[in-house]
Parts: sequence; C-alpha cells; structure tokens
Amino acid sequence: MPTLKIDGREITVEEGTRVIEAADALGIPIPRFCYHPGLPVAANCRMCLVETNRSPKPVPSCYDICQDGMEVQTASEKVKEARRAVLEYTLLNHPVDCPICDQAGECDLQDLYFDYDCKPSRHAFRKAHKPKARTIGPRIVYDAERCINCTRCVRFCEDVAGAPQLRQVHRGEKTYIDVFPGTELDNPYSLCAADVCPVGALTPKDFRFKCRVWFMKGVQSVCGECSRGCSVRLDTFKNEVQRVKPRHNPNVNQYWACDAGRLAYHRFDEGRLAGTRIRGEEVAYFDAVARFADAFQEAIGGGKQVAVVLSPFMTCEDAFAALTLLKAKAPGAVYAVGGRVEGEADDVLARADRNPNRAGLDKVMGAFGIQPVPLDTLHEAVHPVVLVFGFEHEEQNHARMALQAAELSAVFTSLDNLGDVETYAFPTVTPYETYGTWLNEFEVLQRVRPALKVPGEARQARAVVADLAERLGAPLDVASAPGLFDAMAVAVEAFSGLKLDDVGPFGIKLSEKPADPSDEPDAEEGAESDDGADAEDAADIAEETAATEEA
Amino acid sequence: MGKLVERPEPDVIIQSYLPEVWNGMKRTSRHFFANLLMKKGIATIQYPDEKVTYPPRFRGNHRLMHREDGSVRCVACYLCSTACPADCIHIVAGETDDTDVEKAPTVFEIDHLRCIFCGFCEEACPCDAIRLDSGEHRVPAFCRKDEMSGKEDLLSRGAPSVSKQGGEFK
Amino acid sequence: MDLTFLLLTLVKIVLICFVFAMIMGALLTWVERKLSAAVHDRVGPNRASIMGVTAMGLLHPIADMIKAFTKEDFVPAGANKALFALAPMLAMVPPLVVFAVVPFGPGPNFVIAPLDTGMLFILAIGGLGIYGAALGGWASNNSFALLGSLRAAAQMISYEVSMGLNLVGIFLIFGTVSLSQIVLGQGELLWGWLPMWGIVLQPVAFILFLTASMAENKRAPFDLPEGESEILGYNLEYSSMRFALFFLSEFVEIVVIAAVAATLFFGGWQIPWVDPQGTAGGWITAGQVAAFVGKVVFLCWVQMMIRWTLPRFRYDQVMTLGWKYLLPLSLANIVVTAIVVAML
Repeated sequence: MPTLKIDGREITVEEGTRVIEAADALGIPIPRFCYHPGLPVAANCRMCLVETNRSPKPVPSCYDICQDGMEVQTASEKVKEARRAVLEYTLLNHPVDCPICDQAGECDLQDLYFDYDCKPSRHAFRKAHKPKARTIGPRIVYDAERCINCTRCVRFCEDVAGAPQLRQVHRGEKTYIDVFPGTELDNPYSLCAADVCPVGALTPKDFRFKCRVWFMKGVQSVCGECSRGCSVRLDTFKNEVQRVKPRHNPNVNQYWACDAGRLAYHRFDEGRLAGTRIRGEEVAYFDAVARFADAFQEAIGGGKQVAVVLSPFMTCEDAFAALTLLKAKAPGAVYAVGGRVEGEADDVLARADRNPNRAGLDKVMGAFGIQPVPLDTLHEAVHPVVLVFGFEHEEQNHARMALQAAELSAVFTSLDNLGDVETYAFPTVTPYETYGTWLNEFEVLQRVRPALKVPGEARQARAVVADLAERLGAPLDVASAPGLFDAMAVAVEAFSGLKLDDVGPFGIKLSEKPADPSDEPDAEEGAESDDGADAEDAADIAEETAATEEA
Repeated sequence: MGKLVERPEPDVIIQSYLPEVWNGMKRTSRHFFANLLMKKGIATIQYPDEKVTYPPRFRGNHRLMHREDGSVRCVACYLCSTACPADCIHIVAGETDDTDVEKAPTVFEIDHLRCIFCGFCEEACPCDAIRLDSGEHRVPAFCRKDEMSGKEDLLSRGAPSVSKQGGEFK
Repeated sequence: MDLTFLLLTLVKIVLICFVFAMIMGALLTWVERKLSAAVHDRVGPNRASIMGVTAMGLLHPIADMIKAFTKEDFVPAGANKALFALAPMLAMVPPLVVFAVVPFGPGPNFVIAPLDTGMLFILAIGGLGIYGAALGGWASNNSFALLGSLRAAAQMISYEVSMGLNLVGIFLIFGTVSLSQIVLGQGELLWGWLPMWGIVLQPVAFILFLTASMAENKRAPFDLPEGESEILGYNLEYSSMRFALFFLSEFVEIVVIAAVAATLFFGGWQIPWVDPQGTAGGWITAGQVAAFVGKVVFLCWVQMMIRWTLPRFRYDQVMTLGWKYLLPLSLANIVVTAIVVAML
C-alpha cells in the first residue's frame, strides 16, 4: 500500500495503481487523451505528463505506477510547458474544422487548447492531408485529419468489444486509424468507439450533424434494450432524443452500452398512439375512462373472466399501481407477462432477455401472490375482458389473439401497433418519458427518468390506472412515482426498507441494500441521502408532476 | 461624493417667469423667422422622395454569402443561432457532396419577427457566411410567413465572399 | 328700421363674421401647423395637392374640411342627443357674435352694432362660451369627457373674473365702455407725442388680459380641459363636423381675442399720429382698417408663438395662477389706476 503525495496532498493507494488514478481519486485534474479508465494503458499521447521525484524528466502519469514516498507535481511550470508543447505538436496537422465537427463543445482537444496553448499555429507549411468523412462502419464515420492517434478506439475494439477490427496504418504524420481490408467496424458496440474518441475523428452516423452538443440537455436514465439495463444519458433538444450515451456505472455496464440499445429511441419516431380511442375512434380521455370503467364494472359484476397482459417494460411503480387496482376489483383475474422475444446474449453486455424490468415485475407480482400463465396459452381459454399494458407486444401474436377474442378490451400503450383489435386504447408514455424504477436481471434497481415532455393525450400508465380506480370506486392511496415506491417498499419484500433516495446514480444492488431501518436505525444511511439527493429527488417529483399536468 | 450645487433663491422677477417667457419667445421666434426666410435649418427629409443613405455599418436585412461557385458559405455550425439572443435563426444541417466542406445547411431560416438586428450572428460566424450589410432595412409584411427568410431568399441578396475558409494553406 | 340699414348690417355680418373671422380661423389652422413646423425646424404639411400644386400646404385646411364633412357623425350610446348636438354650436356662436361690437374702422360704418355698452356685451357673450365645453362633455356620456368639461368650467370661471377686472382700468381711464369711444380715446397723445394706447397706459393689464383670455380659450399652455396627452377632453366623443366646430371655434376665439386686445390695448384702427378722429375718409380710412387687421394678425401670431413656446401647466398650477396671482394683480391694478385717475 504505497503512500504518495500529489501536489502536496497525501494519498494511500492499492499496489499497482497508476498515478493518474490516484490523482483522479483526489480530484486533481490531469489532462489526458489516450488514457481511459475502462481501457488498457497505451501512454502515447503524453498529455498527462507530471513531474515526480523519481525521474528527471516529466513522466506520463497514466503509465507511472504509484510508489511509496513518491512526490508528484501536476501543475508546475515545467509540466505546463511540457503539456503545452505536446498539445502544439498534437494540433500540428489538425484541420481545426470545429464548425463542422460534431465533437465541438465536448472535445478534449478543444478544451485543453483553451486551457494550455491558446495560441495560433506556428506551422507555416501545408498541413498533412488524410481521408475525411470516411464511412468505416455501418454506424461510424471516420475523419483521419482530426484523429490524434490515441488508439483508444483500437484498444476498445480489441479489449472490450472483443472484435479487433481497427488498427493504425502508415507511419509518422501519415498515421491514421483504419479497418482491416475487407472488413468494417460493425461490432455491436461500435458506437462506444466514437464515445471514447477524445476528438471528433470517430463520429456516430446517427448523430451526424444532428445537433450541437451545447444545446442538449442530459438526463440520467436507463437503457431498456435488454435486461442488463445499462445506465445511459439521454441527450435531448427540442423535446427529441438526439442521442443516447452510456454513463459510467460500475454496478451494471462500466462505461459501455450496445449500439442497438443506443439507437432504440428511433422505435418511437413514428406510430405513437396520439389520442384516446374507442374502437379506433378518437374520444376525449375522461369520456373513455368513464365508459371503460363502467363497462369493466358491469363485466366483473357479471362474473366475467378478466385476463391481464403485463409488460416487462412497465416500471415497478406502474405495475404496482395496476396490480393494486386489479387485485381490489378483479381478484380472480388471470395474468400473463408479455414482452419482446428473446434475443442473443453476448459476453460483453447484451442479455438474452430483451426486456428491462422482468425481474422487477416478478417481484411486484410475487408481492400480490400472482402466478402468471405463459402468454402463448392465454388465448386458449376464453377471457371476455382483456387488459394489455405496454407497447412491445407486436413481436408476439398472442396478445393480439387474446384481444381479438375478448368482448371488452383495453390497451395501455405508447405505440399504435396492435392493429385496432382492442375496444379501448389509452395512450401512455414511452420509456423516455416515464419516471420510476427498473430492476435488472442482476437485481440492480435503477431509476428511469423522463427526458421528454409527454406529447398529446399520453399519460403515465399509473395515472390512467389512478383515473380508472377513481371511477371504479377503489381509488389508489398514492399515484405519484415516489409515493408508489414508498408503498412498494412496504408491500414488496425485495424492496423492503428501500427509499427512493437510496437509488443513486449507480442504482442499488438489492443484495447490498441498506438494512430495514425499522430493524436497526442506521446512521450511515442518513449520511448517504445527503441534501443533494433530496434536492434531486424533489426536482424529479416536480418534473413528473409537470409531465403529468402537461398530459 | 457628488458636487453640491447652490440653488439661488428665485427673486420676484424670476418667479414671475416673464423674463423666461420672453427668452423662450425669443428662441422660438428666432427659429420661426429663420425658417420662414430661408429653409436652411430644416432637418426634415421628404422620405419617399428623398432617402438618407445608411451608414456603412448599418445592420439591415440578413444575407448569406456564397463561394465563387455559388454554393452557400454557411457550414451549419450553429454558432450564429447559439449567439443569437433572440433565438431567431433556425438551421437544419445536412451533408454535401463536397468533401472539403461536408456540412451545409438544408434549412436556414431567419424569423424577422424575432430578430433584433444585433449583429451577433455576423460576429459569431467563422465563415463570413451571414452578414447584415445588405443596406436594406426590413420591410413589413402582411403575414407571419412572409417574415421568415429562407435560405434561397437570404442567398439571393448574397454576394461572393473571398475570405479564406476551411483553414489556411488548404 | 329701414331696409338699407338691414341690408347694410347683413352685409357687414357676412363680411366680418363669415368672411373675416371664419377665413381667418381656417387659415389659422394652417398657420398653426406651418408655424409650429418652423419653430421645430420642420417642414410642416405639404402633401395635399391638386394636380401637383401643393401651395405650401394651403390645401390642407380644404382637405381637412372634406374629411370633416365626410366622416361618420358619431353619437355615443346613452348621450343626451339634444345637448350633444347643441354643444358645438354653443361653442362656435359666441365668438362670432362678439365681432358685432368690434370696430374695424372709424365711424359707425365699420362696426355691426355700435353699442355703447360694447365691452360689457363682449364679456357677457364671451362668458357663454363655457356652455359649449361644459355641455359637450356632459352630454357625451363619457367620464373622461365629463372630466374635461369640469376642468373647462372651473378654468373658465376662474379666469373670467380676472379677465373682466383687467379691463376696468381701461374703462376708468377712458371713462366709457363703448369700444368706439375707447378707440377714439386712444388716438390722443400723451405729452404731445406718445399715442395713448392701452398698452402704454395699462401694460400690466395687457399681460394679465392676454394670459386670462388664453386661458379662456383653453389652448396650450392652458389646454387642461382638452388634455390631449391625458384625458382627451370634453370633445372626446365628437367626430366629423361637430368636432370641427369645436376645433374651429378655438381658432375663431384666437381672432376674437386678438381683435378685442387690438381694440383695447393697441388703439384699434388707429394709426399713430394720423387722423385720430377717423374723419378723413378715402385711403386713410382704408389704411386704418388695414392697420386694425394687421394688429389682429400680429396678436394672433403672438398667441400662437406662446402656445408653441410654453410648456403646459398642471391643473393645480392653472388654478393657483388664476386665483392667487392674476386676481390680486388685477385688483391691485384697478386700485392703482383708480388712484392715479382720481389724482389727475
């Protein structure tokens, strides 16, 4: 356990820790291009040079291992001069086409230029020219002139994605990144290669020229593509998702996310269910609620069998609200869980279950003592009343068959994709507009946050459920997501003792959740839910209220 | 500290206001007779018949400059719309076939109902693409639609600009 | 009453009231705009043209007249229609009637009605002018118009007093209220060389009279009843020719004030040292009539210049000026004049 001093501040680190990691732990900024915490060290950019008492020359802090008694200077004049020189050299052949570069605004090169150099180029000759705007993969465009050859992308493909598709070609100023002949950068994680690129050399085609980064607002949410539930940031502008970026979460996805999940927001580009409908005819929302509730009341009063298809895309709160109502009004209902069909798992992130909250749904159903029947057997028995939650059932025909056979049916969906077989259709929100929690396959509970304002008549599923409950004479005690979470923490054993504040940016592993405060008062827990979390939570509630009111 | 100004106690003559009325009458009469006899002092410009020439730095209608081949110089970098305090510039970027340029606006709209003619866009532009130096002032329109200037409209007022674009020594 | 007298009087009425006063009034609307333009270093109206002839904007009064005649004659709902219609006439008629006693030249031929009590007649008729403004605002069923007419009434009553008192000095000196006699009296010379004009004998009274009568006329700087920048005044609801009558009456009143002031303080038709008895006839009489008209024009100009020079008063200032300064000064002027006249 070496103890060293960085800029006069002492820190004890694990054996084998790099100096840059120790500095990061202390919060001391060290500029870097090639170093990435999720990638092996290459130490080729030389931007992270620091002065140590172990070497006469500045050394790259990303490569130097911490030693006991080491003294590191990260901001001495010598270091600054060295970095300035490195930066000038890095910028030597840079085209400075920031106005047309999608990276501009979040570009490390741009930021560090203003931090360190900030001088016009002294390079008086013709700059080196290399391929520009070259498509090297189905989702990636490469600009060799902007490239600073840090090889982050090469290392990413090789070590993380497990698909060594990139390499450096040529030497000296002519060096650039290229795919091996006859191949292309098409691994399922290729967009992360663009993420790790510190400059604008690799840019995603999907985001190309779409929006300048400084216009966008980032919302921390969860990817719904598979049961991994990668932590992502939804970048939005003008109430549209512009792109989805993975965010660091050591519990779930490290630094990465798959291309499919990051492009999944296009699913909602069109085909949204715009208004409340009865047999394909648009009606006012509250009329539909009243008519459906009355018809439902009559049906269950007549002892008709109710079948419910739940969606593993529903948040735990939505499911909890829906089940609370259904348990009260239709205790004999049959339940099935829909969802997308299984995909292929890989050994990086993707899971076979392509639904984000199946685990959470199981937990909530368990709390109500529900044993779901398989969806494909649902239509075998006759169910006069069918309720379907979720938008993703088009991949399975069974939900549609059940709806077709029903006398009274209702779908609560954001996408209009079941072909008007239902009697009632209530527009609900997409995973990009909802607010709640998802539990992934590895029992990490994470918070889904709305990045967009809800369009048109659409509502949160739990809000529709609450309105129905009101009409049915069994009003819910709470209908807001935080309130439902608290109720759930009491009712669902797996969540017992949890508070929404405990679910931080990295989510929370159910196995590591704080002990039930009713058992033993925990001092640490109070310290964890600091003011910041409270404020964030309050903001979330306000956000949700606004979104609901908008609807 | 401000300077304390002595205010003289007005005497009866001053308070009667007659001297000041007399002075005022002298002033107005002087203008009256001067202007009656010769029109030199009159500042009026008979607008539709005579027009003032605007100073060279007058900020009028926007225009988009073009390159020698007639293509628009704008590369849709959004710096103008970022700088715009009135949020009046709407750009949609698209790709061009010209590999040296790559990016160009497919839509470039200025909402003149929002524009305050501050000229920030002109200053922000790295490409000498948008200018407010057309020398025409904005004329009113009969409907909102006519107050939106599209790319074609802006280009029609444009002129070739020869300033360097795309970096030195290209 | 013989037919000749009747015809002659009719001719005089037409010539003086309609030709002289009305045309002067109409012209003054043009003069006011051109004069204010000149004071402001502007050009003034010059766009109205017939076949390209603009005549320095002289066509604008005609254009205004056409406009006034062709506009909708609007009567607000809830207005008292009879009074609403009556008010503009009441505003227009008194200033015209005042001309009946103003001597335009020597002898009874140049005055419509050579009343012995001429000056009292003027004060009596002039006092009627208040009805136009008061009734107009009251009949309009509009709170702002009513406010304007209230201001007009209060202001005119206040200044009526000092206006009348200012003339007492003149009466004391000349011992008569007949305008013709006063004009003849002003033909005499003081110390053998100075014409005994009212302005020479009663300079304070002249200033006070001019102030009071401008306040009577409700023009800036005393335009509170109209108050274009605040309440729009008693004629707020008036349109078309009815408004034009209010508008025109103001300008006719300017002429009246100028005529009365010329008669009382500037020797009327007198040309200094020439034919003070007005018996010469021929060209000299014509010159005397012209002198009178010239004096009227000059005094009109003075009133206009004051209107375009002085800023307007606040309402409390108007009242303060009227009651606290003009009235005591007029009374003091009478006392001093009376003592001097008695001692001489």
